[in-house]
Formats: sequence, C-alpha cells, structure tokens
Amino acid sequence: MAAPSIWRSKRFRGAAIQAGFVAVLVALIIGATLTARANLSAQGLTSGFGFLWKSTGWEINFTLMETTTTDPYWWYLLMGLLNTLFMGVIGLAGASILGLIVGLMRSGRNPAARLLGTIYIELFRNLPLILQLFFWYALANALPNPRNSLAFAGALLNARGIYLPGLVIGRGTVALAVLAILVSAALAVWILASRRFRQIEPTRQRRLALCSTAAGLALAALAVVLGHDPSQPWITMPKLAGLKIDGGFRIQPEFYALAIAIMTYGAAYVGEIVRGGFKAVGRGQMEAANALGLSPWQVFSRVRFPLAFRAMLPILINQYVWLIKATTLGIAVGFSDFFMVIASSITHSGQTLEFIAILMGGFLLINFSLAAVLNRLNRAIALKGHQTTGAT
Amino acid sequence: MDLTAPAIELTDLDKFYGTFHALKGISLTVAKGEKVVVCGPSGSGKSTMIRCINQLEEHDGGTIRVFGTTLDDNVGLIDEIRREVGMVFQQFNLFPHMTVLENCTLAPMLVRKTSRADAEATAMRYLEKVRIPDQAQKYPGQLSGGQQQRVAIARALCMQPEILLFDEPTSALDPEMIAEVLDVMVTLAQEGMTMICVTHEMGFARKVADRVVFMDKGEIIEEAPPEDFFGNPKSDRTRLFLSQVLGH
Ligand SMILES: Nc1ncnc2c1ncn2[C@@H]1O[C@H](COP(=O)(O)OP(=O)(O)OP(=O)(O)O)[C@@H](O)[C@H]1O
Ligand SMILES: [Mg+2]
Repeated sequence: MAAPSIWRSKRFRGAAIQAGFVAVLVALIIGATLTARANLSAQGLTSGFGFLWKSTGWEINFTLMETTTTDPYWWYLLMGLLNTLFMGVIGLAGASILGLIVGLMRSGRNPAARLLGTIYIELFRNLPLILQLFFWYALANALPNPRNSLAFAGALLNARGIYLPGLVIGRGTVALAVLAILVSAALAVWILASRRFRQIEPTRQRRLALCSTAAGLALAALAVVLGHDPSQPWITMPKLAGLKIDGGFRIQPEFYALAIAIMTYGAAYVGEIVRGGFKAVGRGQMEAANALGLSPWQVFSRVRFPLAFRAMLPILINQYVWLIKATTLGIAVGFSDFFMVIASSITHSGQTLEFIAILMGGFLLINFSLAAVLNRLNRAIALKGHQTTGAT
Repeated sequence: MDLTAPAIELTDLDKFYGTFHALKGISLTVAKGEKVVVCGPSGSGKSTMIRCINQLEEHDGGTIRVFGTTLDDNVGLIDEIRREVGMVFQQFNLFPHMTVLENCTLAPMLVRKTSRADAEATAMRYLEKVRIPDQAQKYPGQLSGGQQQRVAIARALCMQPEILLFDEPTSALDPEMIAEVLDVMVTLAQEGMTMICVTHEMGFARKVADRVVFMDKGEIIEEAPPEDFFGNPKSDRTRLFLSQVLGH
C-alpha cells in the first residue's frame, strides 16, 4: 500500500482549517482598522496611541503607588489596572473563604448552621449587586464624622474611612514584603500538594513547607526593617487633629464598600458551588476512609475536600471570571478601578475608541490569564481514567 | 484489646432506622481465625450488622465486643477498633484521586504513623499477594472492576488488621472477574484471617466457611457449619432461600 497522502491526514486537515480561519480573522480586523482610521482622519479626529505619553492633569483618589497629576496616561491606566487586580485578589480571596464557610454550613448536619447558611445565600443572592454596593457605601457614609469617630483597639472608624494603626514604611517596602509572603506561601502550598513531593516523608514535607513560609516571613521582616527610615517612629497611630484624622493607615469607604460587596455577594455563589461539590463526593469514599481509621479531619483533608474541590473547580472558574468583571461596578461609588480610570480618561481626552479598546484588552488579559491558570490546574488534578465508581 | 478473647461478640444487637427495626436482637460470636459467611434476602440487615461492627452505623441496643473491648460512644475506642477491623465494600470505594500505591499507604502513614518507605514496602507486598503489583502507579479509574476490588482488599490488608469484613465484595463484578477476587479471599482464609463475609457465592461458603449464618428480616434464622447448612437446613425460610440462590 502507498504511504497515505498528507492531505488525507486528519491532523493536517485540522491544522489547515485552523490556519485558514485565523488568516481570515486577521485580514478582517486589519481591514476594519484601516477603514476606521481613514474615516476618523477624514473627520479631523486624531487616532493612534500617542496621547498615552501626555500627562493627565487630573487626580485618581486611590492608587497603590505614588501618582501625581503630571504622570502620563499610561501610568494612570496601569494604576487603574493594578487597582482592579488588587480588588480582584481581595474580593476573590474573601469570597472563597466566606463561601467555603457558608457552603460547609449548608452541607453539615447542624440544623442551626444550615438555616443560617440558607438565609445568607437567599439574602445575598437575590438582591442585585449594585444595590448591595450602595447599601454598604451608604452604611460607610452614615458613620459619625471624624470628631465623633468610633474607636476600636487603636483603630478609628468614621465616615471618611477606617483608620488603622500603621507601620511607617514606604509603599515599595510594603510591596516587597507582600510579594515575599505570597511567593513563600505559594511555594508551601506547592510543596504540600504537588505530585513531585510525594516521594518524601510527610513529616519532612511539612517541615519543608514550614521552612518556606518562615523564610518568606523573615524576608518580609527584613524588607520592613531595611525599608524603615530611622529618623521616623515605627508606628503611626490615627489621632483626631482639628476636624480630621492625622496619622494611621486609611482605608477609604469607596474601597471597603466595594470589597465587602464583592466578597459577600460572591460568597453566596461560591457557597452554592461548594455545597454542590461536597454533594458530588460519593458516600462510599468517605465510609472507606472512616473504616480505615482516619480521623474526621484526615477524612476531610485527604478525601472529602480533594474530591469536592475537583467537582467545584470548573464552575468556580466561571464564577471568578464573573466576579472580576463585577468589580467594574466600583465606578458607581467612585472607586478608581481600571474601568473608572478609563471613563475619566475618555472624558478628559476624548479618545473614546482607543480607551475602550484598552479597557477591553485589559479585562481580556486579566480574565484569560486567570482562566488559563485555573484551567491548567483543573487538568492537572482531574481524576484519571473512567470513573465507574465514585460520585453517585 | 485482648487477642485471646473472641474476635467479635454481638449480644442482643438492636438497630432502628427511624421507626424501622432493622436488627432485632442479633447475637453472634466469631472466634479468632474463624470464617463466617452471612447470607439472606435483600434488606434482611446483613450490611447493617457488619457495618455496626466498625461503627459505620451506630447501634441502638445490645453490646458489641471486639477482642473483649466493648464499643460504646467513646470516639477513641472506635478509632482503636477501626485499626484492627478492615472492610471491603461492594462498590470498592477506592480513592479515585490517588494512585493504587497511595490508596494503600494513606492509612498506614496517617493512622499507624508508619514511615513512607515501610508503608510502600508493605503495600507492594500486599499488591503482590492480590496479584497486581504492576498496577501500583495507576489510578483506580484505569483498572477493571476485579482489579479495583483486589486493590481494595490490599488497602485493607495494609493496615494489618486482625479482622476483615466483606460486604458483598463480588456483587458489583462481571462474572469473569468474580473468580479472581474469590481466589484472593480463599488464600486469605487459608492463611487464618478472621473473616465475616456477606456473600451469595455459595461455592465460596462451602469451601472456606466454618459457619454459615442465614438472616431474614433483621434476625438470625439459622447458623450452622456449611455441610449442615446446605445439606440439612432446619428452617423453611432457609430452604426457600437456598432453593432460590442455588436454583439456577
Ligand atoms: N440509612 C438507612 N436509612 C433507612 N433505612 C435503611 C438505611 N440503611 C438500610 N436501611 C433499611 O434497613 C434494612 C436492612 O438493610 P441492609 O442494607 O442491612 O440489608 P442487606 O441485607 O444488606 O440487603 P442487600 O442484600 O440488598 O444489601 C433494609 O430494609 C433497608 O431498607
Ligand atoms: Mg447489603
């Protein structure tokens, strides 16, 4: 028999169809862009992204890094993107932890806990997110004025924000310390969970993870010590000075209202996903673990949770992507996330199309990366083989 | 725990599901090294009885003694008993997210605090015994039903229990896989393992059982050595049951 022609190969055909599809798509996009440009310049509108290097001349009310009105647009956009990421990380982490608690309450045996969990979910899931956001923001603004601040363990609470006792260190130092802690924590999780470390003794594995965490904390402490200006005091306490608060570390109402809204609303959905995940775990696996003499915590951490997590993850990915998009609601209360910075930029510069393109690009980038990472995790931990037993 | 006492002593065991009386005063004694086969119609309480022994079900009355230790609601005691009593389920119940080897080493490392090297050596020894050492790195989902059930037996053996409970270990298997699992169980029986085995494999009962126990409607109807049980059943219900199981 003759060697089969390359044209008859299934794989080759698949690849050829893909390549053709992409080529047509690229041609369409280039064509559309060129036409749009020609039309815009015919109307005397400038296009292109040169404006990104102009200074803005207006202020953002919340940035993670030093920003002044002379900074260019690209820096503002970057700050907005960082704010969205920051809100996303805090919102998703909070929603996950709270959601896990609510989901466990709902799947447990304690009737009081179940009722509480159900009330939580029905309440937070059935009110529109924007309404909840306004509620939290109104609540934050209804706090007393600075002169009548509520004091709590050194912290002050008033309509201008939450003022916490803070360390006197620069933002760069904080970033470094946080990075050290996050990287070491991720390393510890990896050591505990990765297949690569299954060959060593569990006690050594735990010790290694502990070492990694300790090293991260030590690095963070070192960064704080080195980054501290010796002429300054270590700690700043918030104090009333005239009509406002001096010192301390301020969390503004726009930020925490949005963070609370995202966390509590997200937790209602995550809670239902968590409950579904636990429901999908076969009773037989847990009985087998019990029969082998594993303690309740061991049954949970080695069998119940790992299996439930595998059932949750695919739905959780969608929910996370959805929550990240929901952070754009911050504009309703004036939290300067990526969306709000873009909106302000459009008002001030008039470059509508370009900014909207950047906005879409930014969100696509965030959500594609998030989904890509989680999908990879999902594939890595997926159960191997046909499941004839297991979840029923 | 006293290894000279009877392995299992059930006295007047009662169990209710709501108002349903699932076990009505069951009494049964199993000596160390004895092999007992339990049979009876569906819903007669066979599973419930053996699941009470390792407290997967809580009993409502009567006493359960394992090697002289009386089970009450003391949690530490239940853990101690579960270390000595292995169980093999109808649906295998392997942990699908772990390899065969990890299935076998999990409990010895966590519960018996065995080192990983020792636990793996023991696991390989038992995987050889059930004749699937070459599948150690596979996942349960990649094995046939018969292979999975043999892994489940190896997993139970790795805890080196004194007693093994089997709950219809071959009922979920295709006919051609039943023999490979029964073979392993016969070997274990011949080596002197104390076994309580719920099964309708009457050939197995004839071959290895010291006693056959017949249950119906939550009661033990008849209890006899296999020759008497099959050759000269006393109760009508036993005769009816035997004619149904052996009839085809
Ligand atoms: N969790 C439960 N809740 C309520 N009733 C139950 C429960 N488990 C078992 N039962 C009832 O108790 C009785 C005995 O059940 P059991 O599973 O012990 O029977 P079995 O002899 O093992 O039957 P089979 O041969 O079908 O496995 C049955 O009537 C069953 O319906
Ligand atoms: Mg049964």
